[in-house]
Amino acid sequence: MSEGILVIAAALIFFGIAFGVLRLALGLTAVDRVAAVDMLTVVSVSLIALYAHVAGRSIYLDVALVYGVLSFLAVVAIARYLERGL
Amino acid sequence: MLEFLVWLLCGSILVSGILAVRLDNTLAAAVSGGLASLFAAVCYVVLGAPDVGMTEASIGSGLSVLIFLYAIRRTTEKVP
Repeated sequence: MSEGILVIAAALIFFGIAFGVLRLALGLTAVDRVAAVDMLTVVSVSLIALYAHVAGRSIYLDVALVYGVLSFLAVVAIARYLERGL
Repeated sequence: MLEFLVWLLCGSILVSGILAVRLDNTLAAAVSGGLASLFAAVCYVVLGAPDVGMTEASIGSGLSVLIFLYAIRRTTEKVP
């Protein structure tokens, strides 16, 4: 049961990264690429959390926590850049 | 199970790096460079170095993109 849930989560993360990178590669405008990067940061945080559970080492959750706190800074900076405020 | 994810991460680092070199739009190039750094951070964590991954995620993917955008804004000429 638990193994099945982990496999489903890994499959979701796999397709999330695959389609996010596809959007980044095909991206029509720069804003599409920024949105793809914002999605990929969230998927990466979930991947680190999944690996912390699979490896059984809860110290990896701290990395996911720090990255989840800090990941919005780049997107906020890009938004300021697009509004010509940076 | 996680080997596929590590292979996908390695391929994503390659794609992001090639895009960061080849793209013409400077904003998209800076964002792609930050994304390559982000995937490298996840790879560090999976390979067993969480402290290196944390530093790479905060500095390489957060601060360097901010500094790049600041430099791009300061060095491009103003559009009238």
